[in-house]
Amino acid sequence: MKNLFYLVPMLLFNFLAVAQQKTITGTVISQQSKTPIPGVTVQVGSNHTITNSTGQFTIPAAPGDVLIFSYIGMKSFTQKVEDNMTVLSIRMEENATDLNQVIVTGYQTQKKADLTGAVAVVNVNEIKNIPLGNPVKALQGRIPGVFITTDGNPNSSATVRIRGIGTLGNNDPLYVVDGIPTKRGLQELNQSDIESIQVLKDASAATIYGSRAANGVIIVTTKKAKNGYSRISVDASSSLQSYNTKLKTLNTDGRGKAYWQAAVNDGANPDNNQIYQYDWNGDYTNPVLNKVILPEYIDAAKTMKPANTYWFDEIAQTSLLQAYNISIANGGEKGNSFFSVGLYNNKGIVKETNQQKITARFNTDYSFFKGRLKIGENFSTTYTKDALVPASDILFAALVQQPVVPVHTVDGGWGGPAAGMTDRQNPVRLIEDNKQNKSNFARLFGNAYADLEVIPGLHLKTSYGIDYNGTYQRTLRKSYTSGFLSDNTNYSQTSQDYNGNWVWQNTLTYNLAWRKNKFDFLLGEEQIKYMAQNFTASRQGYALENVDYAYLNAGSSNKDNSGTGSGYTLLSYFGKVNYSYDNKYLASATLRRDGSSRFGKDNRFGVFPAFSLGWRMSEEPFIKSNLPFVSDLKLRYGWGKNGNQEIANNATYTLYSAIYGIDPTWDFDSGSAYDLNGAGTGQLPSGYTLIQQGNSSLKWESTDESNFGMDFGLFENHLSGSVDYFIKKTSDILISPAYLAVIGEGGTKFVNGASMQNKGIEVLLSYNGKITRDLSLTVTGNVATYRNKITKLPAEVLTSYPGNGQNKNILGRSVNSTFGYVADGLFRSQKEVDDHAAQLGKGLGRIRYKDLNDDKVIDDKDRDYIGKGDPDFIYGLNVSVEYKHFDLTFFLQGVQGIQVYNTYKTYTDFSSIWTGTNWGARTLDAWTAANPNSSIPALTLVDRNNENRTSTYFLESGSYLKLRNLQLGYNFQHVFSKKLQTARVYIQGSNLFTLKSKSFTATDPENPNNAYPIPVIGTVGLNLSF
Amino acid sequence: MKHVIYILIFCCLLLGACSKFLDQTPQAVISGDALNTPENVEKMATAAYSALGNDHYTAPYSSMWPYGNLRSGDAYKGGDGTGDISDYHFYESFSLNRIDNGSSDQVWFRLYVCIGRVNDALARLNNISKEVYPNKVTRQAEMHFLRGHYYFLLKILFKYVPYIDEKIAKENYDTVSNRDYTNDELWTKIADDFRFAADSLPETQPQLGRANKYAAKAYLAKALLYQAYKQDENNAVSSIDAGLLQQVNTLCDDVINSGKYQLNTDFANNFLSAYQNSTESVFAVQYSQNDGTPKGRLDYGHALDYPMNQNYGCCGFHSPSYNLVNAFKTDNNGLPEFNTFNDTNVSGENDFHTYTFDPRLDHTVAIPEHPYKYDPAFIYKRSWARAPDVYGGYLSLKEAVLPNDASFLKVPPFMSSSKNWDIIRFADVLLFKAESLIELGRQDEALPLINRIRERAAASTGLLKQSDGSFTSNYKMGTYQPGINCVWTQDFARQALRWERRLEFAMEGYRFFDLVRWGIAAEYLNTYFAVEKTRSAHLEDAVFTKGRDEYLPVPLNQINFSKGLYKQNIGW
Repeated sequence: MKNLFYLVPMLLFNFLAVAQQKTITGTVISQQSKTPIPGVTVQVGSNHTITNSTGQFTIPAAPGDVLIFSYIGMKSFTQKVEDNMTVLSIRMEENATDLNQVIVTGYQTQKKADLTGAVAVVNVNEIKNIPLGNPVKALQGRIPGVFITTDGNPNSSATVRIRGIGTLGNNDPLYVVDGIPTKRGLQELNQSDIESIQVLKDASAATIYGSRAANGVIIVTTKKAKNGYSRISVDASSSLQSYNTKLKTLNTDGRGKAYWQAAVNDGANPDNNQIYQYDWNGDYTNPVLNKVILPEYIDAAKTMKPANTYWFDEIAQTSLLQAYNISIANGGEKGNSFFSVGLYNNKGIVKETNQQKITARFNTDYSFFKGRLKIGENFSTTYTKDALVPASDILFAALVQQPVVPVHTVDGGWGGPAAGMTDRQNPVRLIEDNKQNKSNFARLFGNAYADLEVIPGLHLKTSYGIDYNGTYQRTLRKSYTSGFLSDNTNYSQTSQDYNGNWVWQNTLTYNLAWRKNKFDFLLGEEQIKYMAQNFTASRQGYALENVDYAYLNAGSSNKDNSGTGSGYTLLSYFGKVNYSYDNKYLASATLRRDGSSRFGKDNRFGVFPAFSLGWRMSEEPFIKSNLPFVSDLKLRYGWGKNGNQEIANNATYTLYSAIYGIDPTWDFDSGSAYDLNGAGTGQLPSGYTLIQQGNSSLKWESTDESNFGMDFGLFENHLSGSVDYFIKKTSDILISPAYLAVIGEGGTKFVNGASMQNKGIEVLLSYNGKITRDLSLTVTGNVATYRNKITKLPAEVLTSYPGNGQNKNILGRSVNSTFGYVADGLFRSQKEVDDHAAQLGKGLGRIRYKDLNDDKVIDDKDRDYIGKGDPDFIYGLNVSVEYKHFDLTFFLQGVQGIQVYNTYKTYTDFSSIWTGTNWGARTLDAWTAANPNSSIPALTLVDRNNENRTSTYFLESGSYLKLRNLQLGYNFQHVFSKKLQTARVYIQGSNLFTLKSKSFTATDPENPNNAYPIPVIGTVGLNLSF
Repeated sequence: MKHVIYILIFCCLLLGACSKFLDQTPQAVISGDALNTPENVEKMATAAYSALGNDHYTAPYSSMWPYGNLRSGDAYKGGDGTGDISDYHFYESFSLNRIDNGSSDQVWFRLYVCIGRVNDALARLNNISKEVYPNKVTRQAEMHFLRGHYYFLLKILFKYVPYIDEKIAKENYDTVSNRDYTNDELWTKIADDFRFAADSLPETQPQLGRANKYAAKAYLAKALLYQAYKQDENNAVSSIDAGLLQQVNTLCDDVINSGKYQLNTDFANNFLSAYQNSTESVFAVQYSQNDGTPKGRLDYGHALDYPMNQNYGCCGFHSPSYNLVNAFKTDNNGLPEFNTFNDTNVSGENDFHTYTFDPRLDHTVAIPEHPYKYDPAFIYKRSWARAPDVYGGYLSLKEAVLPNDASFLKVPPFMSSSKNWDIIRFADVLLFKAESLIELGRQDEALPLINRIRERAAASTGLLKQSDGSFTSNYKMGTYQPGINCVWTQDFARQALRWERRLEFAMEGYRFFDLVRWGIAAEYLNTYFAVEKTRSAHLEDAVFTKGRDEYLPVPLNQINFSKGLYKQNIGW
């Protein structure tokens, strides 16, 4: 059969052979490396040949024919045959979509063309200059299958989910920076230092990192200097950020009106309100409000005059974000060095929120013995200073604090809640009284390595890496009086935390080529030891409420302290073989054996195998000759298994702890001290608290994944892309299920108890090309989706997941399901009320709940799965245009078909659920007899209909499309002729617009509830290198 | 050859990393086996006591106010509208309560946490010899007392609960059903624990916080009194066991005649931190502060119950109902208005001077324009209530302390005190005895007991004065004088006893359980709702379902965790 494919082009060749032909010979070399390229396809009409091992070719052609040279990873080259031409010297240039690109795939590298797993390569240029302070945030929407969510807090990290939610515990991926694995994100990494980012999405690719790879692996390589390369680069940018998603809350008059309407709807006397009085007609059938009357003071002590405070304005600011980076690279025969320093200062859009970050990197390597021994290091250090301002409390308080409350009292003190108001703080006070509190964080990260080429192709490498960080915080809580809230005590706490690990890796790699066979072998061993220690101390009774004074020694009462520690170790052995035959047939096999101290002695080790296969169809002659527009086509299949050990360090033991007492402000005390003497004070007798049940049979959680993939490049790779389909099954998921109460305290016990499945598809499509000589265009789009379902759970823990714990349970459904009532609009007439099933609290203007089981009674049996917390798909589109010295890039990102549970609706739509708070401006449009078409329930002072129940009333479409980024740059390098290697200025906007569903009633569907708002950012910046 | 050496070196590196590397000693923790020394066994017994005060406002069990008061017609939930701890709103309305109410599941779990600590300590105590640990028997008895207390609370909340003691191995806990014992057998198990304690405890303990013989006898009397009212499967009282009532009477006599306890001269002293562990306190939860814990061991169960003013600031829960305030009204003889008290609603400030009242009103209820907690310079305002347009202007006083009280402590955003909370006070013992006598038909012997309570109450006006020295309300209180102001029949005595319990212990968390014990909860509460919902709209949906709402449902979680072994309570 295969022969038949060869036959066809040969026949064609015979037919088309014509006269006037002569023989053309020549050599093809690489423009960049100046070395000959074997295997280049030389085509004239339907006739073709391939260059030999020294890059030479011979082909018959007639004058006027056009020779086409093509080779994977190179821009195709055309040469017209002239009369006098017999010997050619062809120089081919590397293509932008570079299949020869070297990809780090785990303790070794591979050419992109040879990859058989699902590996996404990030175009680092696309995210360059995006000032988010965390490279991961800039990746949002750019890699199909990588779901990134974040908020606008200057010190927030991003949540990264590769291929959906794979487990019930920790779903964070493993990061590998310059070969050193870490579970901390990339927030401490200077974005400008990044040379490349790859994402190992499927198990066949990730298994080489076995132990912690089940959630995917993100590999980052930092910049290094190269031989003969010397450069100083400077990047500077300055941005303004603004808060444009403020929630519309009621103003003072509106809050008064809404209360009046609620009272009148109830037939209650609105003047019972403790702040507002009303001038109205007193007619409950046709109520008319003339005027809302405010008191002279809102408090009995006459310190607060009624105000009209829009709290979101009071807490927000247009803020400055600055990023500066300088790097020096110097490369030579004997060694290379790269040094960079980055400064980042992000003042948040909530006042006094701030992150300052300094990063420094030093990457060097030295060559000995004619390059056979390489010794080097990659080292980075990061210092960040974060403002410890309670942003979520502030944002929440801005929503619920009533507008009639002034920021300040008449004598300059703090305004605060008055009679009948919610007990939340004045958010401006929270800002001012906490702005002195900072967290200081430092991280040391890096490795030193030696790589010896024992014989050609055989490398022995050893690497010792460290990843340690420390946090030091000293916070002062001040005394205050703010409305009816007050605290006359102060408190200062100092805490220190120190944690991290070392990692020692030893690998042996061998590359072997024999005829058309190529082998890469890898054998390795890795050891990791992690520790964490912390302590906290505090006192009260400080004479001065000044952070320069309030060190522990200055406190006079209530000395308190605490401290603890933990640790784990990992020990792994691994091996991998990559094989390729004739660049066409690819195969790879991996085996990793991981041991973790977290598991019981008998189950410490887990074995994680993987294999993958690839077929470069485009290398087959039948494709080359019949489908010449196909420049690259590869089919891939991979299967692998990897592991997860995310449980408590001591999970296999039954343990007690000497818990004396804890801070019980928000939780039950687990302490054991008791005042047996009845003294009411002083040191108490105490005991021990059982904290957990051991499970000595715990074993590794594992994920099996199959991946079907295809990579393609068409029209000389101007159009390229990939498609991946995966099925990922996680079993023996480590859970710590809720348990039978009679077990009592310390019943927490980890078990291998659940299974889930994710299936998904990811598509990436990219076009790049020159439209005219001066105009080039690159368009990259991606779309991805996944479907999640829980396939197994112990029956007794089903209640812990959405469902009624009986006949309706989460099995077979997404872990992101919502269970509740179906809100079927409002009752708009008495007849509708009368006709409806028995529903406690039903009435005009109230929410009607669907009688799902048709038993004429609305009760808990009328609940079902109502929400859809997984998107239909997510997508991104990046477009870059270059015209002469200008470049323009824009990036669109979106999520489609997701539902979000908008809990803020309990405040924005109701006057009854939280009676003392401010409410949303939407309440003024609530249902009344005079406003019968409203979909917002009638205002009332008492929620008789239990409208706070989980129902579709709160479920809203969270679909959105955002213009994440728009950048316009101008290169002015030409102005300085050759003195500068890069000279570019740019302006940039982030989050410039959002398209969202009309049914979404809050401001930002990406960020539906109390998260820190995502700002709109405008940036000007400069890139220079010389 | 050189290469082979390199490879050998490398292999050595691989093998050198042996799996001992994976042996990690757990940090900062201790194994159970290390706790069997005399010193540590003593500590485990302390931990079991500690559980007494480890409750929290989301599911209290020191004071039982959410279950005992909100469900009794004595109190509203309070707080910021119905959504603020809506689980309690569901308790209050009954009709909205559900088998998956989170607070019910939480209190169920928390009480088993307490029982778990007792069983852990008891198992160790049983295995240690008296020679090395002379306190063995006393501590065993104390543990039985505590276990009786914790099961008592579970029993009155849920009726049928799985009974686990120290003899059952942990791996078999999931084989114990909540129906292994009948209703009556469960009472017997609880009584047995108290009986063991009463038999083995010393009359006096060197440490005030520990249970002694008389605390055990008083609690045994209480448990037997509950057991005496025999309940059928529909939660209806079918008969009253005279034999048990006799035992109650005898046990109460033992406590009364011990001479260890007296009524405090002023009713107020039971609720003032300066008098904690007073002569009236039979057993109390001991709270403390400045004790080496981060925020003190405070009365967290009541942490939501303070007013919304600058001295406090949170959270306005636990509001006395209009009905309760009306119940304090007295007639011309200073006796309760059993049948007419609720016909007129005390509302404005003037009403407190037109009607006459039992003085316990101003000890129990914070009333607008009245001194708060006996401080004439500190006048309670309607604006101090959280949502007076929903829950009215009253707040509960007994658990509160003044802001300058030594026991008061803010734990922002909440606050509470280290004032002890009585589990049994002597007044309760007197009324247990009175109740048993009345049900035995010996109501004449009960009369002096009830009058003793009333006399003390009538005399407790010393602190109920305004800054000008005048009384805060118009107090008039008398004793029952058969033939003069009443006819002391058994029925009348029963009515007087029940009224006396209501007012004496109002807002202390017992009322609902009294109503269920007496078998009158459904009728009583539906009568209450009929009127009260016209005064307070949040009760509009409230209905008590007879044969169901006497008990909370067995939490759905527990039925599921037990894989169906636990059976749901009737009606749920």
